[in-house]
Amino acid sequence: MKRASLVLLTLILVLATGLSACAPAPATPAAPAEEAEPAAPAAEAPPALDVVKWEYPASFGGVTINLVGDAGHNLKPYEFWKGDFEKVGITVQIIEVPFEGVYEKEKTEFVAGTGAFDVVTFYPAYIGDFAGNGYLEPLDEYMAKDPAGAWDPNASDVLAPFWELYCKFGGQVYALPIDGDVLMLMYRKDLFEHPDEQAAFKEQYGKDLAPPETWDDWLQIGEFFTREAGETLAGETLERDFYGSAEFAKRGFSFAWFVNRWAAFGEPYFDENMTPMVNSPNAVKALQNMVDSLKNAPPDVLGYGYDELRDAFIKSNVAMVVQWTDVPKKGADPTQSEIAGKIGVGRVPGWEVGGQVVHRSLMPVGRVVAVAADSKNKEAAYWVAKHVSYDRSLEDVSTALTGLDPYRTTHFTNPQAYKMFPTAEEAQAYLKGVEAAMADGYPEIFIPGAAQFEDSLDLHVNKALAGQETPQAALDAVATEWDETTDKLGRDAQIDLWRKALEAYRTLGLIK
Amino acid sequence: MRRMTRLEAAVTAGLLIAALIFFMFPVVWMFLTSFKSEAEYFHYPPVFIPKDFDFRNYFNAMAFPPDGRGGLQGLRDSLIIATATTLVAVLIGSLAAYSLSRFKTGGDNFSFWILSTRMFPPVAAALPLFLIFKQIRLLDTHLALIIANTIFNLPFVIWLMKGFFDELPGELEEAALIDGCSQVGAFVRVALPLVTPGLVATSLFSFIFAWNEFMFALLLTRRNVRTLTIIVPSLVGGHEILWGEIAAIGTIAIIPGILLSILLQRYLVRGLTLGAVKG
Amino acid sequence: MRDRVAIPQGGPAGYPGEARRSASGRSRRRSVAILFVLPAALTLLAITVFPLIYELRLVFMSWELTTNAPARFVGLQNLIRVLSQDGRFWTSMRVTAILMIGGVAIQLSIGTGLALLLNRLGSRRTLLVSLFLIPVMIAPVVAGFQFRMIYHDQFGPLNYVIELLTFGQWGGFAWIADPRVALFSILMTDVWQWTPFLMLIVLAGLQSVPVELYEAAEVDGASPWQTFWRVTVPLLLPVIIIGILIRAMDSFKLFDIIYLVTGGGPGNVTETISFYTYLQGFKFFSLGYTAAMAFIQLIIITLIAQFFLRFQRQQRGEV
Repeated sequence: MKRASLVLLTLILVLATGLSACAPAPATPAAPAEEAEPAAPAAEAPPALDVVKWEYPASFGGVTINLVGDAGHNLKPYEFWKGDFEKVGITVQIIEVPFEGVYEKEKTEFVAGTGAFDVVTFYPAYIGDFAGNGYLEPLDEYMAKDPAGAWDPNASDVLAPFWELYCKFGGQVYALPIDGDVLMLMYRKDLFEHPDEQAAFKEQYGKDLAPPETWDDWLQIGEFFTREAGETLAGETLERDFYGSAEFAKRGFSFAWFVNRWAAFGEPYFDENMTPMVNSPNAVKALQNMVDSLKNAPPDVLGYGYDELRDAFIKSNVAMVVQWTDVPKKGADPTQSEIAGKIGVGRVPGWEVGGQVVHRSLMPVGRVVAVAADSKNKEAAYWVAKHVSYDRSLEDVSTALTGLDPYRTTHFTNPQAYKMFPTAEEAQAYLKGVEAAMADGYPEIFIPGAAQFEDSLDLHVNKALAGQETPQAALDAVATEWDETTDKLGRDAQIDLWRKALEAYRTLGLIK
Repeated sequence: MRRMTRLEAAVTAGLLIAALIFFMFPVVWMFLTSFKSEAEYFHYPPVFIPKDFDFRNYFNAMAFPPDGRGGLQGLRDSLIIATATTLVAVLIGSLAAYSLSRFKTGGDNFSFWILSTRMFPPVAAALPLFLIFKQIRLLDTHLALIIANTIFNLPFVIWLMKGFFDELPGELEEAALIDGCSQVGAFVRVALPLVTPGLVATSLFSFIFAWNEFMFALLLTRRNVRTLTIIVPSLVGGHEILWGEIAAIGTIAIIPGILLSILLQRYLVRGLTLGAVKG
Repeated sequence: MRDRVAIPQGGPAGYPGEARRSASGRSRRRSVAILFVLPAALTLLAITVFPLIYELRLVFMSWELTTNAPARFVGLQNLIRVLSQDGRFWTSMRVTAILMIGGVAIQLSIGTGLALLLNRLGSRRTLLVSLFLIPVMIAPVVAGFQFRMIYHDQFGPLNYVIELLTFGQWGGFAWIADPRVALFSILMTDVWQWTPFLMLIVLAGLQSVPVELYEAAEVDGASPWQTFWRVTVPLLLPVIIIGILIRAMDSFKLFDIIYLVTGGGPGNVTETISFYTYLQGFKFFSLGYTAAMAFIQLIIITLIAQFFLRFQRQQRGEV
């Protein structure tokens, strides 16, 4: 027994060596060798569509571009178009970071000045942080290079809110779009068009049943469609409870569903002097509307994030939701969706302001690519970014192999590319909805400190939803915290940046 | 020990079964999910038994990210890091623990300083550690993670082993010393064999802590090294959670731990009597 | 050799070699003592000294990395703000305390109970022990995703089983969405994951209790209950206290499950201190403030640890 510990140690040693021997040899830093490994099956790629005109620049002569982005299918375009990059002497080496950790990882490497990345994929809410800190290369000069076919990213083709608010900072271009996230309305076409329901609605509310135009309609229709198991819905007896509407009410992005309701009043996050507008009477009304809407939502709605909200809709539990634009794509797939072919899309509801209804839909998340200021191969890095943002972008956003969403006019005028829809008409209807939503697009906070401002907002909106605070108290707390944050970050500098942001708001007509 | 009466045996069995249900339910759920198809993840009523036990989620997970080697690379890197961390931490940790327990080296303050290094919130330690590893050019290597994990595991190993040594009556080693053993000999031949169960438990947890570590794995690696804990959240795209693939990786990831625990349990069995020291 | 071994009286460890008082023996002992401790001490020192100084300096600075303003000295302002103005810090501390006290208490009772049961099974338990250990082996990230499914109100298996068992009378809770039960649900995931840890430590401790002590107790005519409290518990106490201490310390790090399952919500009912520290450190990049929060936590954990260790010393003195 005295040898017990020795035996134990030996065992662990044997196990360790054995296991590391089974594993493939440790990777050496020499990356090109790995690239040659034939282990990976040739990446499935969408067919080249060649809808837009572009050309190759002169070869960059065998450079390696380190590209960082959130892991998963949104990095697939760099595999799809590997051949294009090889043709101009570029090897794209992908560094994948889990979705949850992209900002931390990129920021840490930037702060430490490691120069590890050439092309950076990030969420545009951080553009103020990244561009303002000088981590990113201004792109205007590269965009203007000759020949235009090789260098021009055709910015005029990108829907204006996304380009003006998410790619530029302080008047200069710092990023190119690759994923155009925006929220839109989606509803159960079959229910809204069912004659029994239309008649019942007319009788109850004295008006026609139609997709909600205002947030007051949202509450009314939500109430109308909320039924218990055993009641009838569209002529069929319900086996389980059915709900009128649902929200993203979990911590994280619940603030976005509030901003949808607030922004239509034409009030930006702050005024000219960085005084928070978030506790205005209109804002309180908006939050009250969101709180009220939970009555018509499933009982676990406070646990609804993106996935739960999507599933509640496509598993036929709710009649309407506001969601990211990729939900109808999944909803059209009968293997996953119980409502394939029954989805209608439209503009996010709004408020009547000055005699007409104003709609705003938040553009949460989204993805842009930028060139790191300390990259050693900026031209090649820029071309990689431009190639996925423009040349091959229709292919990337129209395939089911990625999760990227459309953001350019050409993406909306080519419904034939979207093969996940059974008919071109369905694709057309979907794209029209997305285009309209994008045109209503409203930005997240994108000045430095965005994460902090949005976290305050999200926390208190969520407290109001959970009944911990009244809407007024919640938004007052947000205003106080926003002021503290502004002071902490440096009020004068923040005011400067915010005024520039307001100019972009004005250009787009988001405020008067 | 007395033998159990029939009633006692029945109660024991009942309690163990109840505990098994509680502790195994999520595990079984994960295992079953690893075979489900997309339509079966969220379904009413919930699908417990998938239609067919197909390994596609496993293949997808092992070849997941675009470069097609994610899961395998994760498995390899996690094994290297967790094994090396365990070896280093347990080896130098037990020595230190013995010294602290028997000789009170450095006194209470010294041993408390060791423990306190585990108390510091990792979020705050992350940036300075990153700067160190950048300076010594160890970013994106196995060694960086082995070092980082060792720092957080060492206090654990030292304190737990100190507890086991404290539990051990010191008279045994004294007898050995009188017999002419050296201090080192008393440690290796007398003390260590007697705390083998503790050593096993400590090693196992040291392995598991390193195996499950996430934050340093996120910050200190890029491309050459990617642990399983990095691969799992990578399966959550911005718009899509690959439930089946996550469950598949989760299932694979517990295999080394289970094997290790079965293997090591030989040393976790009663039977050590004082007389056994004689060998 | 056996006949010369005295059966210890269940007291604390004695120190070998104490009987011999020769000077050379003492210096040899000292050199062995230092030699043994050196590798661990140097490793820790080498890697932790820089981060510690770096962070300590930051406590007195305001350094907001999201803007390009340089760091500036602000004295005690960060500490004062955390302690007196940051309600969120204290709320999250309270959540953490509930999880820590509730979690450790439940884990210790179930873990000890299981260890005692398993201990009686002898070598037949191998497979059982391995099964019980699986929860700790599942990475918190993976466990978080499993619980998101299990706790799901409509599609989750937990509510489905509840519904079956109550014959449809009760559909269960919205486990993570209901502000009244969300914290309890999180607590249960922690209990599920970490009970096996304490179980194995106690089991290992039980294995190290020399059989002779039990035999001696039996000869003295002690009942099993008396044996448990008078022989087993005092001997296991050092290990159990360290187990508790480690769990208590680690509950300040409970993060992944919160992050993946509730995001701190609904409202802030499940926002733990580690989640809030993470936001300050890695989302807001307020480095000075994060450092202040980190040191305050370090002090609080130190106080808790000292309490346990003092208790341990007291126990040792009493026996």
